[in-house]
Amino acid sequence: MKALFRNHLLALCILALGLTVGGMAYAQTAAAPAQPAAAPPPVPPGTAELREAAAKAPTPADLAKGDPGGILTGTIADVTMADAKAGATLADAGNQIGQNKVAINFVWTLICGFLVMFMQAGFAMVESGLTRVKNANHTYMMNFFVYGCGLLAYWVIGFAIQMGGAAGNSNLGGLYPLAAEHSISLFGKTWGVFGQTGYFLAGPSYDVGVMVIFLFQMVFMDTALTIVTGACAERWKFITFSVTSVIMGALTYPLFANWAWGGGWLSQLGANLGLSHGYADFAGSGVVHSVGGMTALAVCMIVGPRIGKFNRDGSANPIIGHDISAVLIGCFILAFGWFGFNPGSTLGASSNGNLRIGTIAVATMLAGCTGTFGAILYMWIVKGKPDASMSGNGLLAGLVAITAPSGFVSAPSAAIIGLIAGLLVCVSVSFIENVLKVDDPVGAISVHGANGLWGVLSVGLFADGTSNYGGSWNGVPGSVTGLFYGDAGQLAAQLVGISTLLGVVFTLSFAINMVLEYTIGHRVSAETELNGLDIPEMGQLGYPEFVFRPEPVFAKAA
Amino acid sequence: MAASKSQGSYFGLFLVGGTILCGGVAYIGSATGKVLSLVGAAILLASLAGFLKIKPLEGETPVQPSPEIMKWIGAGVALLGWVVTIGGLRLVDGNGGRIVVALLGIGVSLFGILYVLPAVFNKTAFWKKPAATSARAGVTRMAGKTTVEPGFTAAPSAMESLESTRMETAR
Repeated sequence: MKALFRNHLLALCILALGLTVGGMAYAQTAAAPAQPAAAPPPVPPGTAELREAAAKAPTPADLAKGDPGGILTGTIADVTMADAKAGATLADAGNQIGQNKVAINFVWTLICGFLVMFMQAGFAMVESGLTRVKNANHTYMMNFFVYGCGLLAYWVIGFAIQMGGAAGNSNLGGLYPLAAEHSISLFGKTWGVFGQTGYFLAGPSYDVGVMVIFLFQMVFMDTALTIVTGACAERWKFITFSVTSVIMGALTYPLFANWAWGGGWLSQLGANLGLSHGYADFAGSGVVHSVGGMTALAVCMIVGPRIGKFNRDGSANPIIGHDISAVLIGCFILAFGWFGFNPGSTLGASSNGNLRIGTIAVATMLAGCTGTFGAILYMWIVKGKPDASMSGNGLLAGLVAITAPSGFVSAPSAAIIGLIAGLLVCVSVSFIENVLKVDDPVGAISVHGANGLWGVLSVGLFADGTSNYGGSWNGVPGSVTGLFYGDAGQLAAQLVGISTLLGVVFTLSFAINMVLEYTIGHRVSAETELNGLDIPEMGQLGYPEFVFRPEPVFAKAA
Repeated sequence: MAASKSQGSYFGLFLVGGTILCGGVAYIGSATGKVLSLVGAAILLASLAGFLKIKPLEGETPVQPSPEIMKWIGAGVALLGWVVTIGGLRLVDGNGGRIVVALLGIGVSLFGILYVLPAVFNKTAFWKKPAATSARAGVTRMAGKTTVEPGFTAAPSAMESLESTRMETAR
């Protein structure tokens, strides 16, 4: 019995020993990670600070009391974390910074685009105000419908031609879906000709960044289109205007815009041929205004002058617009919208030298101001009166001229550029009317065409080399610098751009509109023109409660 | 004719044809894209044919025919200026030489735009013709008359004439 008890006790002891040893071994195994040999990964530098800041961040209970001073709202607690349990990390902070940069640039670009879109209202008022009351509805409607025609054409194909190969803009997240530029080889170099992605904004271009650049570029394109409506007002068939606007939004404008802004051959003149930074047109004196002005000149020649504009001896009769108040208010709207046009062309407000937006805005302001002075003083001294419509045109001329150089020039240079533009517009209006015998009711060819070319040229003269948009322009390191600051190559590149506007854009516009002249016809009948276009073309008077009297000419001629 | 249902219909056709053509161009690498391009182009041509058909309905415009070939020559001269500029980039080294060649090209283009084309268009300009000798009668006669009597359309004097007409009517 004792032996049995001893054996059992021994067995229990062995079992206990086994359990103890096993437990110790288990305990050692479980505690292994805590040993220095298997230490956890090191905590990234700064994480402790981030977690400390997170601990100090206001709680929902704090925020529920309200934050009238704005010092509690927007803390580390608002940073999006990949792993909420792990807390904020440097990676989270970095991602948030990157998204903030792109978000700032998105918002900036979009708001500026909205401002530019509003310029359509200004154009409508200026153009209609400068035409006769019998054509008010027609002129307003052209300015209204050009928005739809241009937008449709640009969405379908124009954007793809212009920006289809424009990938690489870090301000807007890279725009990487737009990476197909059709190129040709010439002189041993590769030259971009037109883009190939972005049709209908479908496929890969269904992208947040692409949508932002589309909106911004679309309103620019529409500005170019609406220039033509003013120059051809009071005698242009609405159907022909509609068709030519669609074609211009689909082809003429996007083609040149690709060459200048979409990675095309003009922008490559620097990288390929050593012409400084290639053709530089910051916000579109050439791309937008000269393209519109050249097209306006081409169509104006084809459509001919209004009945009564010229006398048999070739002298011109002034045909006064019906509403100078609309003209001047429209000019103010345009000047307001120009703050979207030029500063918005940075395509961002954060990083890559985009803090220059203030300088650009001031340059825009100053050039508009001195442009007004130039025109007013010219008219006052030469004609004896500070003419209101030419004053408005002077403001617009200054704004047009500063559009290309606004991102590259100092405030004094901007003032000089604007002043010259104000004088140039007066001389140009007189030249186009009295020498060329081209009838431009609103002076659009002079304001946008002549001063657009002057703006392009002025980049090659006045760019001061202080801008730094990410360290390069058109793929060439350094800042755009003009002749007056020591770089003749930039002037050469600008002259090539001017030559392209005159030689290609004008000719292309002329050819397209000649074909439309053969097929549709640009001009309304003389009867329609004499009676006013509102009823025959639009079916409704612009001012139905006005009592119209026949112009004396009609009574006597009849 | 002014605006009409036919114009609206053909413009709608033009937009449909253009959109289909662009859809075809977008997918030109595929068979569907090629078919769409052909269909779109056909519709576009049909719309242009429609425009051509209704063009005479517009009525007489004051614009007189002028030498068509000279218009295209003028445009060609403008284009030639660009060719000169681009050729200069290849043939001339140095910024100074390229500036000179570009200015030459711009000058050639301006000659085409500011001299050749206006001369062509103004050669037969309707405002040069006196009303009685106008090539066409009817409304063109009226257009011609307006151009030979500046007082009719010069705005300040027109206002005076309008005022005197109004006063005569009142008497």
